[in-house]
Amino acid sequence: MIVRYACATALGIGLLFCVSQGRVAAFPVDGDQTALPAKTELNEDALDKPREVFRSELAGGKSYLISLGNLAFSSPSILGEVARQAGINCGTCHVNGAGNAKFFMPKMSTRPGNFDTTGPLFNPKADNFMLDPVRIPSLRGARYLAPYGVDGRMPSLRDFVHNVIVNEFAGPEPSPVILDAIVAYIQDIDFLANPSLGPGARLVGKISDSERRGEALFAKPFPHDPGMSCAGCHVPSGGFVDHRQHDVGSGGLFKTPTLRNADFNAPYFHDGRFDTYDQVVSHFDKVFDLGLSAQDKKDLVAYLTVVGDGVLPYEHDGAGASLKEVNDFSSVLAMAIPAGDKAIVSLTVDTVGRELRELTEQYPDRKNTVVSGGEQERNQARAVLKDVVLSLRRIDMAVAEGRLNDAATDYRNYRYLMAAAVPAILVNAEPWSLFNQTVHDQHYGALRQVMRSKRTSR
Amino acid sequence: MLRGQGAQTMVDVRVAGCLILLTLCLDAHALNAAPLDEAAERYRPYMIEGIGEALAGARELRDRAAANDLAGAKKSWLSARAGWERSEVFTAGFVPELDAQIDAWPNADCGFHAIEAKLFGAGRTDVQGDADALVEHLDTLHRKLGDIVLAPQGLLDGTARLAYEVGESKADGGESRISGTSLDDMRNNIAGIDFAYRTIFADTLKSADAKLADRVANRIEQLKTVVAARDLPHVDVGTLRRASEELVVAIQAASAKLGLSRPTLEAQSR
Repeated sequence: MIVRYACATALGIGLLFCVSQGRVAAFPVDGDQTALPAKTELNEDALDKPREVFRSELAGGKSYLISLGNLAFSSPSILGEVARQAGINCGTCHVNGAGNAKFFMPKMSTRPGNFDTTGPLFNPKADNFMLDPVRIPSLRGARYLAPYGVDGRMPSLRDFVHNVIVNEFAGPEPSPVILDAIVAYIQDIDFLANPSLGPGARLVGKISDSERRGEALFAKPFPHDPGMSCAGCHVPSGGFVDHRQHDVGSGGLFKTPTLRNADFNAPYFHDGRFDTYDQVVSHFDKVFDLGLSAQDKKDLVAYLTVVGDGVLPYEHDGAGASLKEVNDFSSVLAMAIPAGDKAIVSLTVDTVGRELRELTEQYPDRKNTVVSGGEQERNQARAVLKDVVLSLRRIDMAVAEGRLNDAATDYRNYRYLMAAAVPAILVNAEPWSLFNQTVHDQHYGALRQVMRSKRTSR
Repeated sequence: MLRGQGAQTMVDVRVAGCLILLTLCLDAHALNAAPLDEAAERYRPYMIEGIGEALAGARELRDRAAANDLAGAKKSWLSARAGWERSEVFTAGFVPELDAQIDAWPNADCGFHAIEAKLFGAGRTDVQGDADALVEHLDTLHRKLGDIVLAPQGLLDGTARLAYEVGESKADGGESRISGTSLDDMRNNIAGIDFAYRTIFADTLKSADAKLADRVANRIEQLKTVVAARDLPHVDVGTLRRASEELVVAIQAASAKLGLSRPTLEAQSR
């Protein structure tokens, strides 16, 4: 319960922050000369990232296909020019396969957490000349949640992914293997475990009276339409979905969203119009004339909160998490190099190199005014990360020239560096890195201050 | 006896041959370093000119700001900045302390970016203290340049380091995002790389490995083409990063042919 309330509080604070700060102090993207609208907020500097649970890792390990899909999901190069220029990739919105409640992009969003997939920025050919953003969904448990799209227009996840790449983001036609890989990756993202859900998703364990009452109310037929209930569409035993579209008074037919892990999926409804379960429950009460008492509403919210919970929803971002991801991505090379697969090698080298360059910037250089101390440690961290970026580039060059043995040797050296030297050097430098909350806050505080002075002057 | 003498002569010849070979191997550095040292001297006037331009711009900036001429001060800042960015091949490695004061970031209390925030950010000209400090630092640097020892290794390190840096993401608007001149920074950086390579290393590398010299020159040309884009959002970031990294890989390979050590990618990490 403590965890649950802490999460709910954190969510509340996060939402408050979005409203009060999100459009004022947008960062990191805030220069005039970027491919994205000024005041875009990608929330890339967040130190707490959604925790990603892979089904395959529970079973044994990720396959080549899943790692390749994860890699492509994180690569701007599979999307169109604007996204590539801005470094936008699938993971920008679906951070670690979850959502991004703070994401806000002028011209494409009406509030933090939503995005117009038919807007003018990424593919003018797909622009419908309406600002009609949809909320950014979490992809946890997506394999249970067909059909796809908020309106459930696509039965096939593969078709949906294809549409996102080619139409929404103007990317080049993806190869079949890349499409298969992304689908395999998305289907591998599991829900966070929730020990309060027993067989048939009945509440089990230490459950409060309010939650228990909420569970009963959830299943109770609507007073004016006995054929309907909350549980009629959000079927508890079926992942809290019914795979259908309904009109719930929000302006059209939209598919039933899951309630699993939904505590971390705000904002709610197809366009992200609601910030809290209270607002959601009040909406249903009004539209379906449910006649809920104040206590009923509280009980339903308590039930939704316990259903929507998950174990360890966030993890602190750090060198360890970054290196784990990078190692997963670069494991693709073990098959792609001997196969002489130039396209996959290039995709891997570009994507991993980009991640490693970003990781390098977590260790401020000597000119950074907010960090003192650890200069040698930071220097070593930056130098070793640059070395691994270049060793990857040598692999790419060797494969492009057909020198597969050289590439294999370079890959062995790369793996060796990444297994021992790199983690040790990064751990040494961590206290003076942007992974340290104090250093992080000082660094971004200074940047925000500088950018704010610019806006004030206009 | 004769046979013995002959054998001894043969041995002597072999020993001498080995010694010559050994000397050749051991002295590869010295043999190559001499022309490189001379070539590095040819770089000195360029260095003095670049910092001289930065200094002149900073002085003008100080005067324009004192006269409350915002437009003039901005123009002078840009001119000073151009000279500085062309010189970054050597500044970080040869004068790290001055470099850190002149180019501190992000909430600098002195140097280019402190002044940039006021002029281009807040639209204020009260930069007298900052401008005085910038002039002083650049003047100190300018006066040093006549005597500074220009080790070819340090210049190769600086060239490689800067070549890597120009490939960094500018998706957030880049280093000089407040003045909107990050693309100019990149162009001047690449001009600095180009000049340093052509002046100091190109000839020696051509005689040692013409193919590798071609590769270096080709990647520098690629970088120049990429930053010829009309503005930062039109810089092809993928090609930029690839060309940057391929250039560094080529420079690393070239270091052995030049009799130098493999370049370090961070100042002071040697």
